Amino acid sequence: MPLSNAEIARLVEDRRVHKRVYIDPEVFELEMERIWGQAWIYIGHESQVPKAGDYFTTNINHKVPVVMVRDKHGAVHVLHNRCGHKGAKLVEQRSGNARGAFRCAYHGWTFQHDGQVLKIPNETGYDNTGFDLKDSCNNMQKVAQSASYRGFVFATLSSDAPDLETWMGGAKDCFDNLCDRSPEGEVEVAGGVLRYEHDCNWKYIIENLNDTMHPMVVHQSVVQAAQDYIDTLPEEAVKQRSEAEIILPFGGSYENMEHMGITGFKYGHHYDGGKTSIHADYSVDPEYHKRMVAAYGEERTKEIYSFNTHNTLYYPSLTIKTAVQNIRVVRPVAVDKFVVETWSFRLKGAPDTMLQRTLLYSRLINSVGSMVGPDDLECYRRVQDGLHSDASEWVEMYRQFGRDEDLGDRVRGGGTSDLDMRTEYAAWRDYMLQEAFS
Amino acid sequence: MSADIDLIAVEDFLYQEASYLDNPDLEKWLALYSPDGTYWMPASENQHDPVNEISHFYDDRVMMEIRKRNFVHPRASSKDSAVRCSHLIGNIRHAGRSDNGDLIITSNFQVVMFYREEQRVFAGTYQHHLIERNNSFLIRSKRVNLINPEAAHKSIIIYL
Ligand code: FES
Ligand SMILES: [Fe+2]
Repeated sequence: MPLSNAEIARLVEDRRVHKRVYIDPEVFELEMERIWGQAWIYIGHESQVPKAGDYFTTNINHKVPVVMVRDKHGAVHVLHNRCGHKGAKLVEQRSGNARGAFRCAYHGWTFQHDGQVLKIPNETGYDNTGFDLKDSCNNMQKVAQSASYRGFVFATLSSDAPDLETWMGGAKDCFDNLCDRSPEGEVEVAGGVLRYEHDCNWKYIIENLNDTMHPMVVHQSVVQAAQDYIDTLPEEAVKQRSEAEIILPFGGSYENMEHMGITGFKYGHHYDGGKTSIHADYSVDPEYHKRMVAAYGEERTKEIYSFNTHNTLYYPSLTIKTAVQNIRVVRPVAVDKFVVETWSFRLKGAPDTMLQRTLLYSRLINSVGSMVGPDDLECYRRVQDGLHSDASEWVEMYRQFGRDEDLGDRVRGGGTSDLDMRTEYAAWRDYMLQEAFS
Repeated sequence: MSADIDLIAVEDFLYQEASYLDNPDLEKWLALYSPDGTYWMPASENQHDPVNEISHFYDDRVMMEIRKRNFVHPRASSKDSAVRCSHLIGNIRHAGRSDNGDLIITSNFQVVMFYREEQRVFAGTYQHHLIERNNSFLIRSKRVNLINPEAAHKSIIIYL
C-alpha cells in the first residue's frame, strides 16, 4: 500500500518533520518518483561533452539511467539510456565519445546522437509483422524536458515542470555570479571529479549546506589542528598558504554566521551569504583582478566580487559555490545511501592559480580524505542511527520561525535560522503531494 | 637492477612505514618523511598532476602536521571510532632513480581496513621516492595508485 496523500501531509509541519522522511524506504521510493521524478535534476555541464558524439552518463534519480550527448549540430540532448529494441542500457561508460552513432551491444541496433534509430540489422524479419520501423517509440527516448543555463544542463522527467529559468527563480543569480567571475563570462569543468559515498539519507547533506549552527562544532577539530600548527610557523610562511584562508573560517562565530543571512525561494532553493560569506576574505590574485577589470571595468568587477554566497541549493540535486567555483551533485541510491560528486570549474580567461585554488578547496573540504567532509558525514550517520529511536517522532526546525521576511519572490532570514530547512520541506510537501506544478 | 641497492633494507623500511599506519602513529610516520616530503593519492588513473587535477589526498609537511593533530583531536567525531589496518606489501622493485638521485621503488599493496564496524579492502600500487640516509631512508614522496581511484569511496580517515 503506497502512502496516501493524507499520510504524506502529516509528515511535514511548518516547524517539524517526521522521522520517517529519513528512514522509511517507502517514503524514499515516493521521493524518487515525486521529487526526483518531477523537479529539474542537474545532469552535467556542457563542457563535459565538447565534441559531437561526446557523452556523459548518470542516473536522474536512484534508477533511471540517462545520457547527455552532443549531436553533430552542436545541440546537447538528454536521452533515456535505454535501447529502443529490448531495453538494454546503451551506454555503459561514464563518459566517452560515440563515434557516428550509439550501437547497442546486444543486437546491434544503432542510434543517432539525438536518439533517432539509425539501423536495425536484418531488418526484413520485421516485414509484415505490424512492426513500424518509423515509429518513434523505437528511438532512444528524450527525457520529458532538458535545458541548459549558462552551460549547466538539467533534465526533468515531468512535462508539467515550468521552464528551467522560471523554476530556478531568483536563485538563478548565483549561476550568473559564478560565470561572471570569469573574465570571459564562462566556466568549464576541469581537473576531474570526486565521488564520495555517504551511507545515510540524501537529505542530510542538503540540510547541512546552510546549517550554520554546525561548523563551529563539527569542524572545531580541523580548525584547531590547523591553528595549532600555524601558530608554530612564521607569519610570512602562513600568508603563502591558501589552506589557512580556506580552513580557518569554518570556525566562524555564531555572530558571523548569523550575519550571512539565508535567502529561500520557491521549489526549495536557497542560499546563504550574499553580502558576505565564509569565503568573503579570500585573497584576490592580482593577475586575475587585472583581467577582470580589463573585461568588466572596476565598478562591475567590484559588484561581481561583492555578491559572495556560501552555498546555493537548487533543490534537490545540486549545490554550487560561486566564490569557490565548485559544485556538489547529490545522486541518491537508497533510503540510507547516496553519492556526492564534486566538480571543479575553471573560470575561462582567468590565470591557472584560480583553478588550483578551486581544486585545493575541493580536496581539502570535499574529498574522502578530507578533514572536513568525514566529520559532516559522521554526524549524518549518527542522525540516521538516532532517528530509529522511538523517543520522539519529530525533528525540529523552529530556529527563528516567524521572523522570516517575505519579499515576494523570496524569503529572507537570519543566517543561523532554520529558514533553509523550512524552505526545503515546503517544497518537499508540494512535490510529494503533487501540487508543486499545479 | 643496480647491484648497489639493498632491496632487503628497502623492504624493511616500507614495512616499517606501513606498521605506523596499521595501528596509526602519525608522529612516527611523519618522521619518515623528508621536510619537503609529499603524500599523494590521485582520484583518477594515470593522473600526472596533483595541483591542476583533483586528488583524494595531496599532503605536504604542513598538511601532514595538521592531519596528525586532527587525528587525535577529541572533537573530531569521525575519529571517535578506531581505525585499524593491515597492510600487505609485495612485488617490491627498484625502478630507477629520479633526476635528483632519489631511489624509485614500486610495490603492490593490499590494505584491509577496519573502521566503523566495517571491514573494507583497498588495493593498488605504491611509488616511493626515497632519499638514502645513513643506513636508512627518508621518503621524498609516496604516491598511492588505487586500482579504483574513480570509485565512490567512503571516508578514508587514515593514510593508506
Ligand atoms: S536490446 Fe539493443 S539491440 Fe537488442
Ligand atoms: Fe560541515
